[in-house]
Amino acid sequence: MILKRTTLSRRTILRGAGATLALPLLEIMQNRGFASAPAAAKPPVRAGFFYIPNGVVQRAWHPVDEGHNFTLSPTLQPLARVREHISLFTKLDRIKVAGTDGHAQAGTCWLSSAAPDQLCPAGFPLRTTIDQLMAAEAGKHTAFRSLELSCNPYEDNRESVYFDNISWYGHGNVARSLRDPKAVFNRLFAVKEHQEHGSVLDLVMDDAKSLNRDLGKVDQGKLDEYMQSVRTVEKQIERVTKRQAEIDQLKLAPPTKPWQAMTRDEFIQVMGDLMILAFRTDLTRVCTIMSSPERWGSPLNVHGLFDKPVDHHSMTHGQGKEDVRTRLEALDHFHIQQFATLIAKMAEVREGEGTLLDSTIFTLGSGISDGSLHICSDLPTIVAGHGGGAISTNRHLKSQLGTPIANLWLSMVQLMGVKCDRIGDSTGALKLG
Amino acid sequence: MTNFYCHSKLLTGIAAFLLGVTATAAPFDYHSVRGRDAKGPLSGVLEGENLAMRGKSRVQEMENYGARWSGNAHLLWDGKIGQKMESEFRVVRSGRYRVALQLTVAPNYGIFSLSLDGQELRKEIDLYGPAVALAPVVDLGELTLGEGSRRIEFTLRGANGKAEEFQGGHLLGLDFITLAELDPAKMAAAPPAAKVVPGPTESPKLAVTLDEMRPVLAAHCFQCHGNTKKVKGNVNLKEITTKEGFLANIGLTRKVAEALAYQEMPPADEDPLPPEDHRKLSALFNGYLEEYLQAPGRLKPVVMRRLNRYEYNNAVRDLLDLKGDVYPLPEKVIRGSSYFNPAQGQFPDHATVANRPLAKEQIEIHILTGVSPFAIDLQAEHGFNNQGDQLSLSPILLESFLQLGRSIVNAPEFDNYSRLTGTFFAEPPNTERNHWPTAVEQRLRPFLERAFRSAVTGEVLGRYVAFFKREIDKDETFPQAMKSVTAAILSSPRFVYLTERKHDAGKEEPLTPYELAARLSSFLWSSVPDDELLAAARSGDLLKPEVCDAQVRRMLESPRSKALAENFARQWLRLDRLITAVPDFDRFQVYYSRIGCEQFKFGLQTMIEPLLLFESIMVEDRSIMLLVDSNYSYRSDELQSWYKDTVPFGDRGNRQRFSTTSQRFTRRTLDTRREGGVITSAAVLTMTSEPLRTSPIRRGAWVATVIFNRPPPPPPDDIPEIEQDDVAIEAQGVTLRQRLVAHQKNESCVSCHQKIDPLGFALENYDAIGRWRDTYQSGLAIDASGELFGRAKFNDVIGLKDALLARPEWFMRAFSQHLLTYALGRELDLSDKPAVDKIVARVLADHGKFSTVVSSIVASYPFLHKTNQ
Repeated sequence: MILKRTTLSRRTILRGAGATLALPLLEIMQNRGFASAPAAAKPPVRAGFFYIPNGVVQRAWHPVDEGHNFTLSPTLQPLARVREHISLFTKLDRIKVAGTDGHAQAGTCWLSSAAPDQLCPAGFPLRTTIDQLMAAEAGKHTAFRSLELSCNPYEDNRESVYFDNISWYGHGNVARSLRDPKAVFNRLFAVKEHQEHGSVLDLVMDDAKSLNRDLGKVDQGKLDEYMQSVRTVEKQIERVTKRQAEIDQLKLAPPTKPWQAMTRDEFIQVMGDLMILAFRTDLTRVCTIMSSPERWGSPLNVHGLFDKPVDHHSMTHGQGKEDVRTRLEALDHFHIQQFATLIAKMAEVREGEGTLLDSTIFTLGSGISDGSLHICSDLPTIVAGHGGGAISTNRHLKSQLGTPIANLWLSMVQLMGVKCDRIGDSTGALKLG
Repeated sequence: MTNFYCHSKLLTGIAAFLLGVTATAAPFDYHSVRGRDAKGPLSGVLEGENLAMRGKSRVQEMENYGARWSGNAHLLWDGKIGQKMESEFRVVRSGRYRVALQLTVAPNYGIFSLSLDGQELRKEIDLYGPAVALAPVVDLGELTLGEGSRRIEFTLRGANGKAEEFQGGHLLGLDFITLAELDPAKMAAAPPAAKVVPGPTESPKLAVTLDEMRPVLAAHCFQCHGNTKKVKGNVNLKEITTKEGFLANIGLTRKVAEALAYQEMPPADEDPLPPEDHRKLSALFNGYLEEYLQAPGRLKPVVMRRLNRYEYNNAVRDLLDLKGDVYPLPEKVIRGSSYFNPAQGQFPDHATVANRPLAKEQIEIHILTGVSPFAIDLQAEHGFNNQGDQLSLSPILLESFLQLGRSIVNAPEFDNYSRLTGTFFAEPPNTERNHWPTAVEQRLRPFLERAFRSAVTGEVLGRYVAFFKREIDKDETFPQAMKSVTAAILSSPRFVYLTERKHDAGKEEPLTPYELAARLSSFLWSSVPDDELLAAARSGDLLKPEVCDAQVRRMLESPRSKALAENFARQWLRLDRLITAVPDFDRFQVYYSRIGCEQFKFGLQTMIEPLLLFESIMVEDRSIMLLVDSNYSYRSDELQSWYKDTVPFGDRGNRQRFSTTSQRFTRRTLDTRREGGVITSAAVLTMTSEPLRTSPIRRGAWVATVIFNRPPPPPPDDIPEIEQDDVAIEAQGVTLRQRLVAHQKNESCVSCHQKIDPLGFALENYDAIGRWRDTYQSGLAIDASGELFGRAKFNDVIGLKDALLARPEWFMRAFSQHLLTYALGRELDLSDKPAVDKIVARVLADHGKFSTVVSSIVASYPFLHKTNQ
């Protein structure tokens, strides 16, 4: 297996630029100017999450120093061009639920940090994740509560629902991620489609209510997912309709390339672009992106990086070997590169007096720190964006040993206007400023 | 928690078996089991593309000429004047038949004479036509046909004056032959009586108490399980001192009983239990389990299931009487179903089928314009993608349902695609607009009954009639208003969920007839019930065991039962893992095929082989033990070469232009028991390998999960890395097996790996793409020997198959559990043990006959009952 690291940056950027649908759309917004509702007032804070599976190579991740202007580690090099917008958090932990699969809980518990005593039948806790807590609040103002995206490129169905999702509405109720960019685009911008949903909502709701009387308790819980969805869709229709004129003005066109034919970087960038579009048009303020699903021991093409498909998960268990670790570092580097490209894009989207990035918190992380040992302490965590000025950037904040990552989640949730004083095992809000 | 019950394979009778009490009888030939005889009439058609091909006969895809050819293909032959196209078809019973032929006409087709078994029936059939089209039907009238193979010959006699030549001769195209038996009285021939064989012997009940057995536990168990601070496997046998304690810790009790049944404890390096003590201890813990299960209210509830996209497709297809699928389903491994006619009781010798799309351009095709499937639901860790607890519904999915309903009925192709266009959707004749609602009420009643799988209340009916009225008040046409109503029905929770009426918490009740009909149609067809099943539900007769059993048999004879292969078998075998397998291109070039300048994975067609085997067992009602060891298999010519030739495809290598759109699979008698069954199929062996070498651990885990339903626990956090290339291992003078064993010296690894690995080592004679090898590449010898559950030693893969055949209840139990899990849409647990025991006893008595597995599941307590939480 030959590592083609030298060609990575140039090719990735070229590909990323050439094939992503939304870049021209971003330009439209920058140049023609989107009748930006938030321009008058202070722009709202948005929260994006960028998940990387299977942890990172520890020794190439950690910088040698702390504080402002810290020295970027080898893996973090791609962040150099956006370093004034990022903050690196280290020594943040999640509680590991012993006795269940290390990977199944990695993605599912990442954004909930739920304690092991909150188990449900899956064998690990499936609590409401913080993006959904944020969505409950921020979604009061937008057409869509939230957006869940996955750049899962696999056409097999090797793993269960717990490996392909990081967002949960609540106990056992997964906010399933979309993996077809075209479907995401249509959901956001096909106003007419939404309006047509309206005609039968009353009817099916009446059906649901009468059905509910005959069901047992657990089944009623299932039917409640349906009824909640009807209510959500009703709201969406109303709000999307209000925004119709503005959306039409943008004259957006959906992506044309099927996701199955996209290269890795194209897929991730297209999904990122859709998130940026949704934020900038204020159709939603909360979005999660899985850059790749958790574990999924199937070989994966990382175009331009390796000449043969690689199995990310089994590489993490082989990192005791120098050549495997080198390749794994290159893959980590690749993910950071994708993340950095999205940050740079957001920094160029004008909004009000500043940029979209000024009012966004865009968090990269993984539910495992070291994939070879399934360790959940010292989770890789980078926050990009200024959160409306609340976040001190260009710094490395090393927390005290044993600090729960839930403390960071708590700060973020509060920043998004959610009234809440505890997330999972949090012990207090982490100071961001 | 994974499948709670899957670890609990103990049955008193079986325990006796595992102890080696029986299993001395001569091996039983499972090929002799045939529950369903081939029967006539050979209803429908014998597809030309599925007939025996001789000489220049081949299959031609006809899709490009319009969707008129049956199966979208015909048999194509060309030759010079005087030459013959010869083929044959099988008649399963002597009798009078009406025979007709559907041929093709084209500008370069010839004039042929036709003979059957050497007797000329037609002197001249002119197949000239100005364009490629279907010829007028050639009706051969009534013929007496003897049982067996009938030879059919077309001799090229000349050509129409207007006909063009083709390579100095002319062509012939045969779409299909129809046979209709004229004496239906014979059809009802009584099936042969099932052989009665004794069931597993019940071991006599032993009265044993805990006090009596505590010294034995102390002597053999406490050292690891109680005496020291670190308790192995979290099993502390010392601290529980009463029967009540074991009943309260039933999970632990089950674990102990299982470890005893499989003789896993005490471990091999400790003193074995004296047989008498082993028997008593087993009786003690099995007694606890039985006592636990006798308590009422143990049935595990089924969580209300949302339709997955395969079920949604089938339900809409059947409800709207569509001519095909609603949308393309990548999960359908085999494309094409013209060969699948279970009513014939005979699986055809040839099947021309398409593989899952090899071509990238097929990714985005639509069957109905604007209709796309929603996201696939992923399989549960050790189950299927029909488990209510994992099938949630989000706003996005609701949007998909809303949009699907609308886009299906409004697709431009819909009116030609649904057979209800002239009836359900058509404006009632001679009816005033203001009387439409009355007519609609009559039409909606049966439609809603089927869509919602329940009796239709006035409230629900009134709601949809009112919706219709609102639509026509908007000046919609009758068909359009009916389409809107249909779209609404397809979005209703009563359609998208399989609902069961539940009452008091903890109370176990029998299903209502409608609920039973819904469970049956979901299980066997992944769809809604049909009219006949609904009629049995409406009258309540379905609750009678004999009526229910007759319905099951009828449903298995319907082509809709293909869902069992498409949905159950595919998931059971975890076959779609092959899709992402990437055997190393340089080392395994035959896996790939170059077409133009594109590489395709030729090897994906291996997925079809185990599925056709499964279908043949189902259609001919053979023994499920053939899934372990069969003396026949279905393979294309290329696949046969893959298995058999030292250099597959000769010097053409992977440059051979394989068809990416269809392959022709032929039933072949196998000449070695190294082949046959699913375990040794290339698909399974490839998808459980690494790119550059086999993976005995993956293979062993697959066998443990699929064949024994004993999935290994999740791997530990720190897994040592093994070289990814066996060449690198062998360069050190050791085999992969030796390398793995050396790696697992660590005690914590050994306990699991000694259960998993032997199952994988037994398959080391197959390389990473499933081809047989006598030695490793470097010449090192292959050691495929091992031991099953401490009971059965074997030297190679044939020995492994023999061990499985000699103890058929292992596989029968596992298969029954898998199928019951699928049928119920939930994980099994300990409470299902008595039901599984009964199913296995019946299956064992019938030597694994497929229909017995299905009917025993349907007759089981958990299938017929429901409970509230």
